[in-house]
Amino acid sequence: MCLALFSGSLDKLTAAGVILSGAAADDMEVDIYVLLQAARAFKKEIATNRDELKLAENTHLRKEFIESLDKLNVKQWHEFFKEAKELTNVKIHICGLAGKIWGGEKLEDFIDLADDIVGIGEYITAAEEADIHLFI
Amino acid sequence: MNEEELKAISVDKSVDARGTACPGPLLAAKKAIAEISSGQIMEILSADEGTRKDIPKWAAKKGHEYLGTVEDSGYFKIYMKKG
Repeated sequence: MCLALFSGSLDKLTAAGVILSGAAADDMEVDIYVLLQAARAFKKEIATNRDELKLAENTHLRKEFIESLDKLNVKQWHEFFKEAKELTNVKIHICGLAGKIWGGEKLEDFIDLADDIVGIGEYITAAEEADIHLFI
Repeated sequence: MNEEELKAISVDKSVDARGTACPGPLLAAKKAIAEISSGQIMEILSADEGTRKDIPKWAAKKGHEYLGTVEDSGYFKIYMKKG
């Protein structure tokens, strides 16, 4: 599976995490390309701080959304990514341009789950080869 | 297997995933099945409606035998034999 992760919103990142978990249960190989807004969310100081992340839709319901997630014992978005990496072959590639836009030049600027910083050519090749391709 | 047979079955592994919503029970099942041997029986306890369909389909895809589901009060038990 190839996932182009553009969104840096809490709801879409959570959805991506749930989809990723399904792929992990199936032992799929997954390549995630972290693009523009998502690259900000993957920065070390942002990823674990929910206050930094907005909702993509129904933004006025953010508080209720977070309360529901907690009540249902739903993991934090980055914990889904971590667990999937433990279960299957998931590679997380940060788009070099996106990283720079948010002041992330090096791999160390992003959470430990990130595997490398890449150019768009790698994404196109992965998308071409994957059976499932998603843009979130 | 029918409900009576399932209730009488002796399980080698029981996974209580009632505290988690989707995809928690599915991932719990995936992790737990790695800990038993081929031919052994596992049950998953879940209160998540989506899981009820997910786990049998996942089991079939992964070569395990889905044995059936028994409802209890507010949750259900899904049985499978590792392939």
